Amino acid sequence: MLSALFNILIFPGLFFLSFLGTTAEYIDRKLYARFQNRVGPPWFQPVADLIKLFAKSEVIPEEADPVMFRVVPLVALAATVTAFLYIPIWGTEALYYFKGDLIVIIYLLTLPTFTFFLGGWYSRSLYATIGAIRSVTQLFAYEIPLLLAVLAPALLANTWSLSEMTEYYTVHPWYWLFNLVGFGVALIALLGKLERVPFDSPEAETEIVAGSFTEYSGRFLGWFRWAIDVEAVVGASLLAAVFLPFGLSLWPPLVFGLYLLKILFILCLLTLARTVMARLRIDQMIDFCWRILAPVAFFQLIFDLIIKELIL
Amino acid sequence: MSELAALKQKLEERFVYLNGGIREQGERRLWTEVSYDLFFEVLDFAVRELGFNALCTITGLDEGEYLAFIYHLSQGGIVLNLKTRVVKDKENLRTVTGYFPGAAIYEREVTDLLGVKVEGLPSGVRYPLPDDWPTGQYPLRKDWDPKVLDQKGSA
Amino acid sequence: MDFDKTNDKDMQISIGPQHPALKEPTSFSLALRGEKIEAIQVKIGYNHRGIEKGCESRTYIQDMYLLERICGICSHAHSTAYVQAVETIAGLQVPRRALYLRVLIGELERIHSHLLWLGVAGHEIGFDTLLMYTWRDREAIMDLLAELTGNRVNYGINTIGGVRRDLTKEEGERIVKIIDHLAEQTKYYIQLAQEEVTLIQRLSGVGKLPREDALRLGAVGPTARASSITFDVRKDDPYAAYGELDFKAVSADQADVYGRTIVRLGELMEAYSLIKQVVKNLPDGPIAVRAPRKIPAGEALSRYEAPRGEDVHYVKSNGTENPERVKVRAPTLANTQAIAKMLEDRYLADLPIVVAAIDPCFSCTDRAIEVEGRGLMSWEKLRRYSIDWYRAQGVDFRNVKRVI
Repeated sequence: MLSALFNILIFPGLFFLSFLGTTAEYIDRKLYARFQNRVGPPWFQPVADLIKLFAKSEVIPEEADPVMFRVVPLVALAATVTAFLYIPIWGTEALYYFKGDLIVIIYLLTLPTFTFFLGGWYSRSLYATIGAIRSVTQLFAYEIPLLLAVLAPALLANTWSLSEMTEYYTVHPWYWLFNLVGFGVALIALLGKLERVPFDSPEAETEIVAGSFTEYSGRFLGWFRWAIDVEAVVGASLLAAVFLPFGLSLWPPLVFGLYLLKILFILCLLTLARTVMARLRIDQMIDFCWRILAPVAFFQLIFDLIIKELIL
Repeated sequence: MSELAALKQKLEERFVYLNGGIREQGERRLWTEVSYDLFFEVLDFAVRELGFNALCTITGLDEGEYLAFIYHLSQGGIVLNLKTRVVKDKENLRTVTGYFPGAAIYEREVTDLLGVKVEGLPSGVRYPLPDDWPTGQYPLRKDWDPKVLDQKGSA
Repeated sequence: MDFDKTNDKDMQISIGPQHPALKEPTSFSLALRGEKIEAIQVKIGYNHRGIEKGCESRTYIQDMYLLERICGICSHAHSTAYVQAVETIAGLQVPRRALYLRVLIGELERIHSHLLWLGVAGHEIGFDTLLMYTWRDREAIMDLLAELTGNRVNYGINTIGGVRRDLTKEEGERIVKIIDHLAEQTKYYIQLAQEEVTLIQRLSGVGKLPREDALRLGAVGPTARASSITFDVRKDDPYAAYGELDFKAVSADQADVYGRTIVRLGELMEAYSLIKQVVKNLPDGPIAVRAPRKIPAGEALSRYEAPRGEDVHYVKSNGTENPERVKVRAPTLANTQAIAKMLEDRYLADLPIVVAAIDPCFSCTDRAIEVEGRGLMSWEKLRRYSIDWYRAQGVDFRNVKRVI
């Protein structure tokens, strides 16, 4: 009981994850600033921002649904933290695992997007409503390619459990190289999931202020920000576990260090993408996801099937 | 003959009453004045025959009993400043949006600032005064005093 | 479609008067069906300050300073247009050196305005890197203007009959050095505009304004020139020293936001060449002639190619120290008319960039030199203070190098 509580709240749960999340935000912001020839924030800025938000009073619009408005940000945070417990980080074994946990992780990572939708929808503000609709529209665009891309390595490993998958790739150390195309697809889809440039139209500042979060303030906005920070790390960890499963049989602290390097690499790629690109319109985004991303993901899937049947 | 002089000559040939009433200024400015009942035939000629295809702006002037309006028509670098006047608070202007759809904003401007009515102007929001501006106050008229804004119930 | 005729199916949303996309109060009421704009109503006038009325109760020279403050970006455009009109009425022969210096400041202003625009355009389509890069480069011009005139904006260099500050040889050399650096940077932006896919996707085909519509609605400046209208006041109605200088009016035929970007980038390159010509061929002589306090009765219309397009000033004098009437038509007013046309059948996401593409003019504040409770500070002291302040906050600017 105590150790479970420790796992959930301290390590590798909420506290550790929040530490990773704010650090990831710092790296993202600092790197983004350096790419843009700016100085960037000091290392404690993301934490300071959160503390500031939690210290501020919150305003809830009169027309908003008071219960949904309050609950939704917490659901977002809870869902992302829970998803993390199923991802292996210092070996081939996650803290909790069962057959089919891969699907559960994907499902849990979909929840934050739905909370963005609900939060925006129940704010009853026009900007928030448009942002909410865009969030969900975007979900339908990137979720299929993401699922297909994650499915391919799972198919190769013949399992629906992330822990068993990493086990498989440890036994067959070079097989992860077959899935590099899928890694690219998943990275792009992750940009959509995290609502980052070029796929940040759900919160496009110059069009709809802050999208779903327009009416949010104080600690409710804080929860959301927290959840988004955590989501970035969980998303990167998922990609690292699925597509970069190498070096997992080493000495555990080394594996852990390697894990940090892997998510750092993925986060840097995400930052690079938002540095060099402009925001796409929602229709262009959907176009791109369905016409290019989904077929490429399909190609990866079929490629893995052929390899499995003919070669391995 | 310079381009400017040629334009001047064409105007004088077409409209006898403009004879001697057109002033050249520098190399690219023509100034002339017509009464309002003749305004549209001169404007029509300038736009359709002489190729003045753009309206820079409309300047409104308060000349005591009259309100004067200068239509600055341009054809490349040359500007024809066509002036006309109407009796203050009695006569209205007619819109020139038929020639220049973009003139709507300039007509709204003289409506707000000088208090002339423009017939045929498409409906739209006022410009540039605020929606709660007291009626009957036209700031660009010479007898207008900004102090009226400080008094309560000035409308 | 008319805004009043929209029905319940449409979502009515307002962008402005306060909105992150707008740097200046303007109001766009939109009727949206899904993401698509069905109708639009533009309301401007929130910044009406009664400057035209104010001019009538001030002297000619006071008016110059007042008119310079119409806009924080193209302040030189307004003051030059105004003094040109007054000089025409008074029949003043402005020395050639002064005319060249007006061109110099005018083109420097165009550079800083276009670089600013490029950054704003980048920001509107979520491309903040472009914003940071161009605004960094723009600082070099702002500093240069401060060195030459004493101010980053509202330069106060004009006076009736000439200019107030001369240019030394060393300053000329420094200008050329900075211009060369900026020309290199601009070439990079041109390459970027030709190659970056997402940028082209967001700009191409957006905000279409065919040539006939641009003419009909009276669009001016880069907005019109991107619709293959080659009109440029500097070429067609030359003022100051433009008649003696070699440059071309940049135009494009895309008739969309991308075309407007290309035109502005091209104008930047032209401005660099113009400035170098001015520095090289600057004639000797006085920089101003004496102007009378009372201007003889008369009227004049002056046009000036501001960064945003044709700026028109009409001045009427009545023989006293104060003008009878001053009328200003800023380029943005002419271009606002075209916004509704450009947004026909477009998406909500296109609104910010289409509006930004006419480069609406917004007011800027000048820097202050008094910090609360610490009295007056010199520039160096103020700079030192800001660096220390940020260091206390955990940000270290000491190692930041000036680009040039």
